[in-house]
Amino acid sequence: MSFIKKFIEQEKISRRNLLLASAYGISGAAAMRMFGPSPVQAATYADPTIAWSYRNRTNPYWNEIVSGGEAFVESLGKPKDSLTHLINEGSSEKSLADVKALLAKTNGELALAIDTNDAPNCRPVVEACAGAGAYVSTLWNKTDDLHPWDFGDNYVSHMTWSDEKPAEQTARILLEAIGGKGGVVHLGGIASNNPAIERLQGLKNALKDYPDVELLDAQPADWDTQKANQIMSSFITRYGDEITGVHCANDTIGYGVLEALRAEGMSVPIVTYDGNPQAVELVAKGDILATVFTNPHWGGGVTAALAYHAATGAFKPSEEPNEHREFYGPTIMITPEDAVEFKAAYLDNVPTYDWKDFWGPSNGQILYK
Amino acid sequence: MYELRQVDKHFPGVHALKAVDFKVNRHEIVGLVGENGAGKSTLMKVIYGAYQPDGGDVLIDGTVVRFQNPRMAMDHGIGMVFQEQSLILNLTVMENIFLGYEQQFVKLGVIDWKAMSEAARRQLAKVKLDIDPAMTTSDLSFAQRQLVELAKVLTLEERIDGDLVILLDEPTSVLAQEEVELLFSLVRDLTKRASFIFVSHRMEEVLELSDRIYVMKDGAVVDVVAHDGADKDAIQHKMVGRDVDKEYYREQKQKPYDEDKVLVRFDGVSSGNRYTDISFALHPGEVLCLVGTEGSGREAILRTIFGLETPTKGQVTIKGETISRFTAQNGVKLGVGYTPRERKIEGIVAGMNVYENMTLSQMGNYASAGVLKVNEEKSLARTWIERLGIKTPDVYKDCGGLSGGNQQKVVLAKWRSAGADIMLLDHPTRGLDIGAKEDVYEMIREMCAAGVGVVLVADTLEEAIGLSHTIIVLKDGAFQKRFDGKPGSKPSLYDLVHHMI
Amino acid sequence: MTDITAQSAPGARFLTRERIIKWTPLLVLVFLVLLFPFFEWLEDFGAGKEHMYLADSRFFSIRNAARIFIAATPALMVAIGVTFIIIMGSIDLSMEGTVSVCAVIFAFAFIGWGGTLASWAWLAIPVALLVGAALGFINGLVHVRLKIPSFMASLAMGFVGTGLALLLTGGDRIRVEDELFRSLLTVRWFNFPIMVYVAAVMLLIAWFIQSRTTLGRNFYAVGGGEELAHASGLNVNRVRIMGFTLAGVFFAVGALLAVGRIGIAETATGNNFMFVSITSVVVGGTALWGGIGGVWNTLVGVLIVNVINNGMVVIGLPNFLQDGVLGILVILAVVLSTDRKSVSFVK
Repeated sequence: MSFIKKFIEQEKISRRNLLLASAYGISGAAAMRMFGPSPVQAATYADPTIAWSYRNRTNPYWNEIVSGGEAFVESLGKPKDSLTHLINEGSSEKSLADVKALLAKTNGELALAIDTNDAPNCRPVVEACAGAGAYVSTLWNKTDDLHPWDFGDNYVSHMTWSDEKPAEQTARILLEAIGGKGGVVHLGGIASNNPAIERLQGLKNALKDYPDVELLDAQPADWDTQKANQIMSSFITRYGDEITGVHCANDTIGYGVLEALRAEGMSVPIVTYDGNPQAVELVAKGDILATVFTNPHWGGGVTAALAYHAATGAFKPSEEPNEHREFYGPTIMITPEDAVEFKAAYLDNVPTYDWKDFWGPSNGQILYK
Repeated sequence: MYELRQVDKHFPGVHALKAVDFKVNRHEIVGLVGENGAGKSTLMKVIYGAYQPDGGDVLIDGTVVRFQNPRMAMDHGIGMVFQEQSLILNLTVMENIFLGYEQQFVKLGVIDWKAMSEAARRQLAKVKLDIDPAMTTSDLSFAQRQLVELAKVLTLEERIDGDLVILLDEPTSVLAQEEVELLFSLVRDLTKRASFIFVSHRMEEVLELSDRIYVMKDGAVVDVVAHDGADKDAIQHKMVGRDVDKEYYREQKQKPYDEDKVLVRFDGVSSGNRYTDISFALHPGEVLCLVGTEGSGREAILRTIFGLETPTKGQVTIKGETISRFTAQNGVKLGVGYTPRERKIEGIVAGMNVYENMTLSQMGNYASAGVLKVNEEKSLARTWIERLGIKTPDVYKDCGGLSGGNQQKVVLAKWRSAGADIMLLDHPTRGLDIGAKEDVYEMIREMCAAGVGVVLVADTLEEAIGLSHTIIVLKDGAFQKRFDGKPGSKPSLYDLVHHMI
Repeated sequence: MTDITAQSAPGARFLTRERIIKWTPLLVLVFLVLLFPFFEWLEDFGAGKEHMYLADSRFFSIRNAARIFIAATPALMVAIGVTFIIIMGSIDLSMEGTVSVCAVIFAFAFIGWGGTLASWAWLAIPVALLVGAALGFINGLVHVRLKIPSFMASLAMGFVGTGLALLLTGGDRIRVEDELFRSLLTVRWFNFPIMVYVAAVMLLIAWFIQSRTTLGRNFYAVGGGEELAHASGLNVNRVRIMGFTLAGVFFAVGALLAVGRIGIAETATGNNFMFVSITSVVVGGTALWGGIGGVWNTLVGVLIVNVINNGMVVIGLPNFLQDGVLGILVILAVVLSTDRKSVSFVK
């Protein structure tokens, strides 16, 4: 009993201090912005709290991202669970609220890696962090008018992937495999998701060079295996043998498509995206023609690393060029020829990354259309 | 000023109001008395607009009006103080008083609570109740709630220019003696402003308060007596006066019961404030009738025997076994059957068919290892359909679609086929037409002949007298008198009414 | 004279309200099955192609029927489970969590004990059923003993289940590759894969429980009149707990068929089952306040939902219309099956 009581008391006191501190921090930051970008070095911390804020771990993709974050924390000689997890369950409100709570708790001594769930939520999160003197690196979601260099050192970096080009590459592999003629169907992600749109666009770009191939149909399968399974079997009903190739927006969809084909005893070439271990195995077996590996493990690790090293003062973000502040993550094409090799290199043993090589595998500065 | 002329009201199978003439003058208190089922409630519902009459006219100051709903009646100055209090307990007193009329306090879309509170205080002053209008209603005593109810109706005073008619339905049933007197002096006071219609089971109160008294029986007004000419005995005779048809109640089939054996024995049993210190014994072949007004404790006693209610004092013995755990499961096991008044709620499961309903309380007898023997169920159902003459196309008919009489027969068959030999019948003939009633009477006699003990709460006093071997009269939860009802020496209606109210 | 029971009119008419309500879901299903081929015909007619209505329909074919059944079987099992609960007048929203847990535990046990049905790994099947029963039992216990409304208790249990599945898998998928187990999907008798026959057998078992056992009868009694069931000496609490346990078993069967269909067990295996199963039960004509309906209604409901899902894609309608159409169907189903005069309060 007394232990709990003591804990609550302590929390109360530290909370009060933190509130005062963060109030001061916000006004300080506001003053700073009033006078334009400040030449003054933002405060750095010897041992900032490291946190990852993301949707949840049910999704294997996010699982990989977070495991990268954990690997980074371990590389610092800390235990795995010293990484703080903020789970937003797909709610932007919760995402922001959790960040604010953590800022208050850590007094701004925070290195935060975050996917803000949707693009508009990125600005309030970044402003809250900058206001409290914390360091933040973002992944995936950000509006085009928001840039790290507008926030001095506190908004360290943003990383995203452009899926259009890699999706176009997989589409070309598929279209070559079917001899440049016939019909393809596309099963996409949640209709309003940016990656889903880009991956379909990649297919359309490739199709321009293959006039004899018809895009028979494209339906959103919501990144869901079972839904993809049902939609694929409906496609089989509608188009039957007209389908000579399937372009899937990710691996999860691909599994559902493969099972739908299997139930019919059909065999049609398919390509997927994401490079999940099971998909890579299927590529090696030849069941999938190609998938794209985006190395979420590295992405998750390096995002946390950037925020951490900026927070400790190991490097000064504002002195880095823009292509080191906003950049594309890596993409690796996996085809049956290199699947086994890839598997050995990336999946069977998780490579030990040099988490200080922030930009080595990256893919150039983000371009806005 | 308020008048009903030749008002008729029919319900399927029942002629509830028969050419009723009724009149309320200014500053007058009119009493309305009658047995259960005489048509008082229906008449009141017509007056305050809940029912529309099938025939006849409603007049206010000589003009014919027609109310589609109680709200319209209220707009003509007719308000109702409900017996089952109509206050919403989790709202405050003032919210209750102005429920549905909050608009007057709304300023810029927001309720001005202060103004409402002031207005509520004025209303409460009319009934001389000094409480904070912002109190939650559930914190008030019953008597206070009754007064709030009255205050709520009196808001009509401000809204209506014309005369007010206020109905008081059993307003005293939950009040103590001094509270009743307070209420009466208040009502007398308020006659300056309003007329009252006062409905009560308590004859003395009606006599004391009313200027004129309407006596109803079988849906018709049988007499109107002025306050001065009113005589309790005479009124009671008029309320019940009817020749009892011996044939109708199968009196010739009434056989003496077996006095040596006792099925149910109550020894000084009390249950909270519902009934106190009740003792009786039920024998095989006996019809024991509990007589009293609504709320006199009749139903609670039935529920205690069945096991739905646990007594607070005294000893209940069923077939020689002293009951310590009062559960329905136990009651069923001891062979008690219960046909509740609300057939739709506790009698039959609508949506289940005839045989499913019949075996509901005895499924164990028609199943082995959890698997039902549907064929045996069906043949049981067919036997009883024939035996009781249940009118149903087949055993698959949804019981919800049967007529009331046939539903009642299904319920009886359910218990009888399960071998119940203590039957508790709560208003078994309520809502049934004459033919169906006679069928039920026939069944009661048959049960007695088979050695079943019956505890009956009858729909009318005639029914109670006609059917029973023994009558126990209750009043406000207390035992009044026991009558023996051997054929030929049955008590008169007047004897009973005398002790009831 | 406070209450006068209305006498029902002698029901001699052929098209009574009850009859219409009873057969409406089936009519809707037949209508849909004939509607989609019509759109196909319209499309080909517009393109000037030869097309005989129904005969040339791709939708109205045995192979497509098999596809619809394959898609429907896991949902049918889950919906049957929840049907029992809804007949009791309660609701069970734990299906997504329960399905995930059962699928994941099944897959772990299956792989761990040999990875093929020909070994001791077959024991994973009864284990999964037991897990489903246990989760349902806890669900019922929480609902009855702690007196928490069933929707809340079961929703919470569902979250617990999803969390448990996530804990077990750490977010990974488990592939079940055994050819023998996957023959559920790959081996066909008379054009239909084995899983369809498994589902048919389970449906018959559910029907038997519903119509021929005391338990099934008790579900109806509790749903039709809890007071009365109590007053007839039934142990209502026990019936409820058994109902939730039974539902858990059917959820587990649903999980097994879902794994059989996709070959993958993961936390996401349970996704969408809540929406699909509740929609199916309601569309099939089982009343949400209990006492009315049954497993055949649920079969029709599940088929309606899956025929729409399949048909919409087959005729090339955009995906977002499916959810809209399903939503409208749910409202229609409730409107048709409710005598709204008798329901005074809608909460």
